[in-house]
This record gives sequence, structure tokens and C-alpha cells, in this order.
Amino acid sequence: MTKEISLEHVWVEFGEFTAVHKANLNIAGGEFFSFLGPSGCGKTTLLRCISGFQEPTRGKVKIGGEDMRGVGPNKRPTALIFQNLALFPLRSIADNIAFPLEVRGVSKKNRRKRADELLELIALPGQGDKKVSELSGGQKQRVAIARALAVEPDILLLDEPLSALDLKLRQHMRTELRAIQKQVGLTFIYITHDQGEALTMSDRIAVMNKGKIEQIGDGKAIYDHPTTSFVASFVGENNVLDGTVLSNDGKVMQIDAGLGTPFAVENHPAGGPALAPGDACHLFVRPEALRLSKDESAINQFSTNFVTEEFEGNMRHIVMNASGKDLKLSLINDGTNAIEANAPVKLDFAPGMGIALKPGELASA
Amino acid sequence: MRDLFYDLVRRNGMAVSIYLMLAVSLWVFILIILPQLTMLDYSFRFNLPPAKIGGPEDVYTLEQYRYFFQGSGASDGLNTLDIGILFKTLLAAVFVTIFDLIICYPVAFVLAKSSTGAKARLLVLALIVPYWINEILRAFAFRILFGATGVINETGMGLGLWDTPIDFIRQDVALYAGLAYAYILLMIFPLYNAIESLDRNQIEAARDMGANWWQVHAKVVIPYAKPGIASGMTMVFMLTSGALAAPQILGGPSNLWFTQLVYQWFNSGGNWPRGSAYAMVLLIVCIALVLLVMRLFKVSIGEIKQ
Amino acid sequence: MKMKSPTALIPGLYLTLFFAYLFGPLIIMVITAFNSSTFPRVSPWECFTTDWFGKLAADDKLLAGLGNSLLIGVGVVCVAIPIGLAAAITLSQVGPKLRAALYTIFIAPILVPGVVIGLSTLIFWDRIGTLFNAPYESFFYDGTFLTIFGQVTFIAAYSMLVFLSRIQRFDTTLTEAALDMGATPTQAFVKVLLPFMAPAIGSATVLAFLASLENYNTTVFTIVSSSTFTTVLSSKVRYGLDPSISAVAVIIIAITLIGAIIYECRNRYNTKSWALVVAERPALKVATHPGTVAVILGVLALAAVMFIQNHDSNACTAQILEDKRALQQKLMEQQSLNTPQQNVPAPTMPNLGPVGGNEGGASAPSPFGNNIFSPENLGTNTPNDQ
Repeated sequence: MTKEISLEHVWVEFGEFTAVHKANLNIAGGEFFSFLGPSGCGKTTLLRCISGFQEPTRGKVKIGGEDMRGVGPNKRPTALIFQNLALFPLRSIADNIAFPLEVRGVSKKNRRKRADELLELIALPGQGDKKVSELSGGQKQRVAIARALAVEPDILLLDEPLSALDLKLRQHMRTELRAIQKQVGLTFIYITHDQGEALTMSDRIAVMNKGKIEQIGDGKAIYDHPTTSFVASFVGENNVLDGTVLSNDGKVMQIDAGLGTPFAVENHPAGGPALAPGDACHLFVRPEALRLSKDESAINQFSTNFVTEEFEGNMRHIVMNASGKDLKLSLINDGTNAIEANAPVKLDFAPGMGIALKPGELASA
Repeated sequence: MRDLFYDLVRRNGMAVSIYLMLAVSLWVFILIILPQLTMLDYSFRFNLPPAKIGGPEDVYTLEQYRYFFQGSGASDGLNTLDIGILFKTLLAAVFVTIFDLIICYPVAFVLAKSSTGAKARLLVLALIVPYWINEILRAFAFRILFGATGVINETGMGLGLWDTPIDFIRQDVALYAGLAYAYILLMIFPLYNAIESLDRNQIEAARDMGANWWQVHAKVVIPYAKPGIASGMTMVFMLTSGALAAPQILGGPSNLWFTQLVYQWFNSGGNWPRGSAYAMVLLIVCIALVLLVMRLFKVSIGEIKQ
Repeated sequence: MKMKSPTALIPGLYLTLFFAYLFGPLIIMVITAFNSSTFPRVSPWECFTTDWFGKLAADDKLLAGLGNSLLIGVGVVCVAIPIGLAAAITLSQVGPKLRAALYTIFIAPILVPGVVIGLSTLIFWDRIGTLFNAPYESFFYDGTFLTIFGQVTFIAAYSMLVFLSRIQRFDTTLTEAALDMGATPTQAFVKVLLPFMAPAIGSATVLAFLASLENYNTTVFTIVSSSTFTTVLSSKVRYGLDPSISAVAVIIIAITLIGAIIYECRNRYNTKSWALVVAERPALKVATHPGTVAVILGVLALAAVMFIQNHDSNACTAQILEDKRALQQKLMEQQSLNTPQQNVPAPTMPNLGPVGGNEGGASAPSPFGNNIFSPENLGTNTPNDQ
């Protein structure tokens, strides 16, 4: 069984410091939901509110429609996988997995049986008598999941569980986590600062900054149509230009970004708040949206000079300078995109690929 | 207090929290604070027979402290005997502390920085083993060693260094050697802990930049180990000045340690209030001295560890 | 580092000297336990004897004191360990300001002279007893109880330090994980924190027991009219030096060494490199198991006890006695030639007499400082002591 979770106007304050600023959201049962944000953005505090280690200063946490205020972590239908996994080093693998059953007074025989079933599920059959220290990083990870599942929770909370693993294993575990979630059908709430993890695994993502939820949406919406400057600059690479809105006919805006001719940028229904003529704005253009102009009459065209190039094999990451402003440009290495170092190069982008937002805080690189 | 208790309950549950609060408050109040306060109270009273305690004569007085400063004689004379013993005790304790620091520092350094694995563990065990042996027996060993027919006198005379047995007991040599011996461990371990956590690279960097061996110690190791040095010295000083067994066994006949005065007032003198007053004097003077030195060397009491 | 310069030898030389200082006095004390001379000394060597051990076994006071000490030791462990543990846990859970204040209070009993702790404990419980009009037989005046209270005051602080160093390495997310998986806070305490603390509880228990056994400064006040091993030993030492005290030391040193050897064997046995060495040599594995080592040491100790019981040095001691008598005779004859009057040795000299029995002719009857002993006087006492 899975339960939905709703946060209603949740505030968490530690003295003067506001860790969570009026969080409002609903997570449906069976959803894989991620909180994405830089460290210190309040995502772990929010997770601790859901698991019960932290009471909100104001607002409600509801699980399955029930207000959780005053309900301790041991009484909530949630299971948390800790960043360091928190496996008990003095207990065997099986005793670790059976711990939730042990504290509920399940008999030793049944405990062992259930632990063996779960070991089967995580593909570690017959390893129950090993010590925690004898397992590899990925195996520990799976044991931690099995232990959390032994609780038979409605909601599994994961606090950056992959951060201690090396890159290869991390990518493998993403697929595996998603597969386990599909298999058991529980609500997963996943905390991460790694956008790759959030984008690949989640049904929906909430991007957080400084205690505030900036945007909630699926991976595509977050990446393609960020609604705040922070999200636009935090998720994925982005070029940002300061500009002024010259006109807005509801469909297309004309924006002066100081690079010669004004740029045409489309409004999008899922985008940020509408801008009016005269407004200052941030104009975002992703490196992969910029292209070398093949055509002298292309729209949104401007002149640049080559600065430097980072070669990555399949992609070429090039830095170009336009009127004193460095812009990143990503090109596929298909042999068609030759750039001469000493001659001016014309770039352009499609009006649908530019994003104009109200100026706001940018994520630090 | 209430918030504290709620916090404990939230973390540990009711049963465990009650145990924690109960155990800690029993210890702090019944075993530490109240006995000290009672002794302080006692030191301001007259020495009365049990029947008169609580009666009209049972009033507060400075008599016991006055006695320490002025003795039983005329009101203007100083109690030079007892004050002298206090000074001698403190001076000797300082001497023993410094002696211990000097002999222990190299050992702690070698142990912490030049030994590894099994060898270091064996050395540490060799340090601890003598301290599993009763302190009375340790003092007794020094008594045998320094006696008129002890090994030292026999060797010295055998080698022709001196003709008649030297009275090491009366000279207090045996006492100082025995006291220094008694608290070596309490000096070595804080030093060892402090030096051990020092990154070996710092020493090597200092050597690399041209410091000679004593500059390495004076400018790198000792400043770093200061908290360890402070706690070792504090422990040795407090325990030496509060020692009773070693002075009783190794002290010369005319040389009293201040704790022996306290013991005397208590046991043979049967004067508990005066014994309490003397104990308070010892306690306060020692603490004041330690705090003064700590302030001079800018170390805080929180850094004292074993 | 492997220079052949003389300075490279200095640390080794220094360590040798240092350990000579540490062990020398103990070794000499051990040797004196086997010399038949009635004064503990190495030279002149008279006869190899084990009689001093026999004398110990017959020392009822010492045995009674030992019994009390063991009882007190157990009592101290039972009270001090839970207190030390509670204090360490409390310190690990409170905020930094309160922690600093509490730490200062907790650590104070270690720094306060033992004499002061003993005194204050005695006065406090005397006062409480008076307050309740308790009879003199009640525990307010009972040496055993008072000594347990007095010793717990500072031994709890020692054990707290042991627990504190362990708890600092505790990962608090383990407790949170237990809570999250449905454990009650009490279950989390019992199933997660306590097992983690178990090794520290073991070592703190040993430490507390040994500290209790050897304590003198506090005990001498709180024990009142009773006695412990240490106080009996102390009065023995103060009122007369006698090789049976060395014999006590031999026994304690033997026990200590056995304990240390077993401990070290266990450590080596549990190392990974040794596990590899013995992996394919089952005989060696059994031979180096700490249990085997303990059994071997036990047999050796038993053999030593048998030897001590059966060794007879009477022939030798009789010979020495004869020689002494002859010498004494000669001396007395010479003395009687020089001075008309002479001191006749006291007819009996109790071993635990109030004023230094071996100090023949001590002038100041002070219990606090022993007078210097002279071998001549000892000689005259010899016949009476046996």
C-alpha cells in the first residue's frame, strides 16, 4: 500500500535561521519524487520533517491524510535510508535487515525467514551471516534498502544514498533503485544535490534554494522551462545575459541583451511569470541551443570571437566572446562545425530556445 | 532543566532518561557537591562534643582558619610551622611536577612519533603494568631502595663513592623519587595523546625548513602539545600535593606533608572542624595555583583530559 | 632514519634508563621477598627462602582486609559504572554550553585531593546520620558503605572518561536509523548504543576495580574502624618493614604480569597478520590461543605455589642464626668491656606494634614518619621475631 504525502505551509526555523520557508506540495502514492538543491538548501530538513526527526515550526505534514504532528519517527509509515547508510556495524547482515522486525517482537525464526526473502530480493542470497564490513559499497547500499523495506513502509525516504559511491557504481545504482521502486511500488522520496540522479530517476522533482521550493515539475519541465533564474542556472549548464524587454505581444518578446540586434524570445505557457516592456530580465540560452550560423539572415544572430575550447570526444565545449561577454557553446563532434580561431564567428539560437525570466538569484558555479 | 529532560526523553525514552538524570544527579549532588558543602560548613564550626552539636554553642566561627594562620599562641604570632608545611608541600609538588614533565616528555615523544604497531603497544603496556601494583607497595619499594642498607647505599659504598650510609629518607630524596614515580603515568598519557595527534608532516616540514631538533620541539611540538602538557601537569600537581601514602611511608621523621596535618587533626587530634578547615585551605590554594598557571599559559579547564 | 650516528642511539638509551627507573624498584622488592633476612634487603644475602609467603597466609588482618577490599571493589564497580556511563551519555547529548559546565563538575573529583574527598564523604554521611538520629550501627557510619561512596565519587569520573572516548566515535545516525525502523527510544538505547559501549564497559570495569583496590588516600578516612587490603598494608609498612610485604608485592606483580601477558597474547592472536600465519597451522593456532596461554601460566603459577609451600630453608637459616649469635656474642663481649651497662634486647617485639618495631630506639613516637632503621638493631630483634 502506498500513501500520498502533503506538506501544508511547512516552516522550519532554528532560532533566527529559516531552514524551510513555507513548503507546499503534494506527492502522490507510488511516485518517485526528488528534492534537488545545493547543500544547505533545506532539503534534508524537509526530509527530517517527513520522517519525524524534526517537527515543523509551523504548518502540517500529512501522510495518507493524517496529520503527523507529535508522531515520532518510530510510529510513522516511513523508512529512511541515511546518507551514510547507518548499518549497525556490530550486527550481521541478516540481523541488520531483521532489526525492524526484532523491535516489533517478531519471533527469531520468522525474522530470519523474512531477512532471507529480502536478501533474495536484493540479489545477495545466503550472505546473511556476513559482517557489514565484509560487503562492498554497492552491497551495503542494497542491504540498507532491504533493511528499510523490512519495515514494510508506505514511503521510502532516501537521503543522498549514492553520494559515497564511485561514479560507475552510482550510475548503475540509479537504474537499480528505479527498478526496485517499480518492483515494490512504494512512494520514494529522494534527496540529492546531483541533478543527473534527479533527472534520470524521478517522476517529479522539486528544486529548492535557501529553504524555498523554487519549482516543481517533471525533469523535462524543469530543464526546458525553468520558472526562476535559480532553476535555470542550477539545473544544467546555461548562458545568462542581462537584458531589457522591449516589447511583448503575448507570443514573442523582443529583448535587448546588448549584443547588437534585439533577440526574439518566445513566451511559453509553462514558463515563468510574464514580462512587460521595460522590465529588466535574465535571458538564458543553453550551450546546446547556440549554433553556428549557416545563414547570414538567421534570426537572433550575433557576432563572437573564439576564446578557448575543451575537447570531450563526442562533444566540443567552446567558449566564445560576444561584446566582452563569455558564452559557452556545445557542439556535436560530427566534423561539420569548423571554427577559425582568428576570424569573427556568427552564432544564433531559435526563439523557442531562449528563456527570459525576471532577474533573480543565480546558482553559483 | 525541564527542556533538558524533554529533550532526553525524546532521544532516549522515558526509562533511560530517568536513569540518566538520576545517576548524574546522585553523583553530582550526593557524592560531589553536598559533601564538599558540608565540609565547608564544618570548617566554620567549633569542635564540640556530639551532645552540644546543634546547641547554643554551635555557631559559625573563623577559629579553625585563624588557627591555621596564627596557631594556638598569642594572637599576633604567625603559625609558621603549619604555613611552612603548606609552602614546603606546594614547592615540593611543583618540583615533582616539573621533574615528571622533564623525564616524561622525551618518552611520550618517542612513543608517539617513533614507535608503531606492536612495539608501541608493548611499550604502553610496560608503562601501565607498574601502575597495577598497589601504591603502598610502590612506596615500600622505594623505602627498600633508599634504606640505609638499601641497594643505593650498598652500591654507593661498594663503589667507594661515600663511606657511611646516606640518610635518603631524612633528606626527602626517597620521598621525591617515590612521588615522581607514583604519577609518571598521569604525565605521560596526556602528553602522549597530545603529541600523537600532531601530524608527522609538520615536524618534517619544520626540519625541511632548517629548524634543528630543539627548534622543532620548542616551536612546533610543545606549542601543539600545550593542552596535554597542561593537563598532565595539573593532574600530577594536584595528586602530588594531595598525596598521603607516599609521605607517610617515605617522609622523614621531621618532615610532614600538608595532608598529614589534615590526617592528624582528624585521627589523632579528633578535631574534625579543624581537619576540614585545613583540607579547605589545601583545596583552595591548589585550585587557585592551578587556575593561575592555566591563565598564564592560556589553557582552559575543558582541555583537561586523561 | 637508519644513520649509524651515536645520536640515533639516544632515544633507545633514554628509554632503557626510563624503564629501569620504572621497573628497578619493583625488581629489587621482588628479590627481597626471597631473602631470609628479617629486614627486606638484597645484600647481605642470607638464605633463599619462601617462608615470607607462609607468613602472609597466616596474616588474618591482611586476609580480612583483602576480603573487604574485594567487596568494596565490587560495590564501587556496580555504582560507578552506571554513573560514569550516564554522565558520558548526558555529555554527548546536551548543548555545548551545558556540556562545558557539566564537564568541569564531572572532572573535578579527579583533581580534588583524595584526602578531601574522603573527609567530606565522612563528614557528610555523619551529618546525615545525625539528622536522622541513626544508630551507630547504621550504614551512615559503616566503613564499607562510606568507602564505596567516597571511591565512587572519583572512580565514576575515571570511568566517564573511558566511556566518553568511546562515545565520541558513536555514529548518532545509527540511533536515528533504529528509531526510524520502529524501535522505541529505549529499544534503540539497549540494542544499538549499549552494544556499541560494551567494550568500554569492560575496560572501565577493570579500571574501576583496580582503582578501588589500590586506593588509599580516600579510603583511609572513610573506612573508619574497618580495614581494607591497602590500609592494612599501609599500617604494616609504617609500623615495621618486613619482607612479607615484599611477598605481597611478588604475588600482585605475578598476577599483573599474567594478566598483561594474556592481554597481549589476545591482541596478537586477533591481528590479521597472525590469523594469516596460523591459517594453515592448526597446532600453532591452538598453542597461541589466549586460553592455552592462560592455562600454561596457570599451571606455572600453581607449580610456584607448590614450590613455595614445600621449600624448606630451615637448615640454612639455622646456620645464619648461629653465625649471628656468635657475632653478637662477640660484640656483646666487646661492649661489656667498653661500657659497664648495656641494652638488653626487648623480650618481645610485636610485629605490628604501634611504634616502629624495627626501628629499635626510635626517639620520636610519631606515626607519620618512620625513623631511620639501623641494621645493628635489627640483628638484635631477629631471635624474638621468630
